[in-house]
Amino acid sequence: MRDYAELWEHSPGSHLLLDDDGLITAVNATFCDWTGHQATALLGTPFPRLLPVGDRVLYATHSLPQLVLTGRIAEASVQVTGSAGQRLPALLSATRVATGPGTSETRVVLVDAQQRRRYEEELLLARRRAEEARAQIATAEAELAALVHHDSLTGLLNRPGLLRALRGRLGEAYTDRADGAVPTVFFLDLDGFRTVNDDLGHTSGDDLLRVVADRIRSASRAGADIARFAGDEFVVLDDVPPSAAGAVAGRLVDVLAEPVVLHGVEVVVHASVGICAGSVPPDADPAEAADLVVRRADTAMYRAKAQGIGRWEAHVPGSTDPATDRLVLLEQLRSAIRDRELRVHYQPRMQLQDGSMSGVEALVRWQHPARGLLPPSEFIDAAEESGLIRELGAWVLGEAVEQAVRWDVTGAAPGLQMAVNVSARQLADTDLVNRVAGILARAGLAASRLVLEITETALMHDPEAALRTLQDHRSLGVLLAVDDFGTGYSSFTYLKQFPVDELKIDRTFVTGMTTDAGDRAIVASCVHLAHAMGLVAVAEGVEWPDERDALTALGCDQAQGYFFSRPVPAAAVPLVLAAVPG
Amino acid sequence: MAQDGSREAVDPLTVEVARVTVHTAPVATEHSRGPVARRLNVTSSGRPDAPVLLFAHGFGCDQGMWDGVLPHVTPDHRVVRFDLMGAGRSDTSAYDPVHYATLDGHAADILAICAELDLHDVTLVAHSVSTMMAVLAAIAEPERFRQLVLVGANPYFLDDPATGYTGGFSAADLAEVSAALDSNYFTWAEAFAPLIMGTPDTPDLGDALTASFCRVQPDIARQLLTTMFGTDYRPLLPRVVTPTVLLQARADTMVPPSVADHLHAQLADSTLVQLAAVGHCPHISAPAETAAAIRAWLLPAR
Repeated sequence: MRDYAELWEHSPGSHLLLDDDGLITAVNATFCDWTGHQATALLGTPFPRLLPVGDRVLYATHSLPQLVLTGRIAEASVQVTGSAGQRLPALLSATRVATGPGTSETRVVLVDAQQRRRYEEELLLARRRAEEARAQIATAEAELAALVHHDSLTGLLNRPGLLRALRGRLGEAYTDRADGAVPTVFFLDLDGFRTVNDDLGHTSGDDLLRVVADRIRSASRAGADIARFAGDEFVVLDDVPPSAAGAVAGRLVDVLAEPVVLHGVEVVVHASVGICAGSVPPDADPAEAADLVVRRADTAMYRAKAQGIGRWEAHVPGSTDPATDRLVLLEQLRSAIRDRELRVHYQPRMQLQDGSMSGVEALVRWQHPARGLLPPSEFIDAAEESGLIRELGAWVLGEAVEQAVRWDVTGAAPGLQMAVNVSARQLADTDLVNRVAGILARAGLAASRLVLEITETALMHDPEAALRTLQDHRSLGVLLAVDDFGTGYSSFTYLKQFPVDELKIDRTFVTGMTTDAGDRAIVASCVHLAHAMGLVAVAEGVEWPDERDALTALGCDQAQGYFFSRPVPAAAVPLVLAAVPG
Repeated sequence: MAQDGSREAVDPLTVEVARVTVHTAPVATEHSRGPVARRLNVTSSGRPDAPVLLFAHGFGCDQGMWDGVLPHVTPDHRVVRFDLMGAGRSDTSAYDPVHYATLDGHAADILAICAELDLHDVTLVAHSVSTMMAVLAAIAEPERFRQLVLVGANPYFLDDPATGYTGGFSAADLAEVSAALDSNYFTWAEAFAPLIMGTPDTPDLGDALTASFCRVQPDIARQLLTTMFGTDYRPLLPRVVTPTVLLQARADTMVPPSVADHLHAQLADSTLVQLAAVGHCPHISAPAETAAAIRAWLLPAR
């Protein structure tokens, strides 16, 4: 017969037996060798005393009840206190068996688990870090969301905030409303605001805007959304029956016609109001519909202004359609691409840390035979709407990539990052990634030298599709940037998923950051958000040294703007580079 | 396990339960179905028209803790049990870390159960961390409760030399307890893995299964443990007007004997009962003795 007593003493595991009260009745040699305890000293003492206080609590509250209720516990990760006070990581398993009527025995096995515990601790640490990062991002998101939708000067909504509210209302517009009210945009522009600003100074201008904001608020219903859209443009959005819209506009005109006293000077400003009701077809894209409604109200406002001060006009369906003008423009643009009237200019981008030039952004220009050098704002929208953007975008991309290689080869400006804008339409093109790969391969430029800049709005247009396209480009090795960040309507849930490398903070916030605490907070939040997500923060539109200093102080990584250099022709880039320190 | 699944054959769970001699007789249980009841897995057993015993389980386990006591009280009581948020089969998707940042959130759950089930003249039997929830609930709605029975209660786990109070743990211990919960994380996470056999369609099975798991959601447990160790509930005690019975076991790792004396002195209308049972969970290790002690001190209907 085998000597099982010897096996008990020198089993590979540490074994203990406990009685009903948890007192140790037997302990094997393996345990004593491992912990340094003397068997005789342990007998009759409570088993939990061998555990540090934390494990003792969990043993009492969780493991022991489980043991009694189910008869076993398996692989609880504990530490055992050795004779010298050292902590020995172990896995504890136990069974509890009846030994007679009303009595039982608990059999404990402890296995040394140093390695496993180390892994677990690393895993836990990683988990806690991930939780902290998630919490940080959530906080930054919430702050940013509050900031980006409000105008810090007046406390009203700003442009993105208003467009968001309008999209919401248009989405609900087709539910039946007994009073026949429809979401209606009242677009207000102050007549003579510039005079106040110029004659009395910016402070008075700001005071006036606050007074105007208060008056618009007082003249509007509680449920209305009110926004300062830009400068001296305000928008009131409310659900109004069509027959009552004129009365609302009239009331707005009237409250603003009252004189305002600013620092002892009486000022009279009038407002022109344009009205457009949001009667959009139910299948329309709410974002496009919102833009359209605001644009129509804006156009109606200009008609009102043209007729004199303090008037209002409503949008008339079918009135002057800018569509005809656009067709002419598109035809010209088509021939411009063919006749090589397009140019690419390059705006340098700087590292804020050391002031060195890290790259350039390629920006298209149109050398129009009659109208001179046109910026993209004059023709990109039309190109985007017509689909001509694909051809145009491909040309710019090819030109920019080839230019980067030319700079490398001549040594005039080697190694620069080349950033190129990609539009919503291009992004939706499933062939884009092949096209980009082809252009890079033909020119012989490393994919990591190319940064594709995509506006936040384009990304959010169809986030699912954008995600796939971005992933394709990411596998190619191309870097990706979110452009005009802060102006769109980001769903952060998506943004987090996008494999992007950079956030480009929109110029409107940068421009205001040294004078406007709200804008400064937005920029700070953007930088914070970028870093929380592991992205490079890039500021656009830097025009003054104090803006650069403020950005540097906020930890922003890179910047571009007139302060460093305007967009210049390719030949001028080496000159800018030569003037840069380092 | 049994080789066939017929309900007429011996249920493998019954065998398991019988082997550890917890159940003396099977107790029919039904699951209540209001929103609060669903969220906290409220179960009822016993005689619907009899006086109400509401059982609140302690830290680290679930309502299955009371299984052994149940057969001793169901013949002449309506017994209601539930799982604390984060334990057992509670609906952890309803967990809100802010709401449950203090024990008040849990105490509100107890009151919500009473309201939803329209329980009156309730005897609330609570263990461990739930004892202070019971105190909070009784202060908030004294008219709701006939009596409190507190098992292994501790109003403040830390020693407070300034007042000569010995809660049983030092500040350094507190840090260790939290760290230990972390080091056990994977064990706990495993305990909270989805139930393999229990389904909502077979609640009678589900109850027994719950008892066999002691499921606790580790992240929630961590917060509850921190709250329970970090909060001094002693100032509440003089505000309790409900008659209270304190059950104190021998060698309770979590409650030094002096704490029971403190509770007895501070709770105006209280009775301290010393049990022969050992450890923090006498209702598990000695269910018959614990049940007998509860029965002995139950107050008659008002």
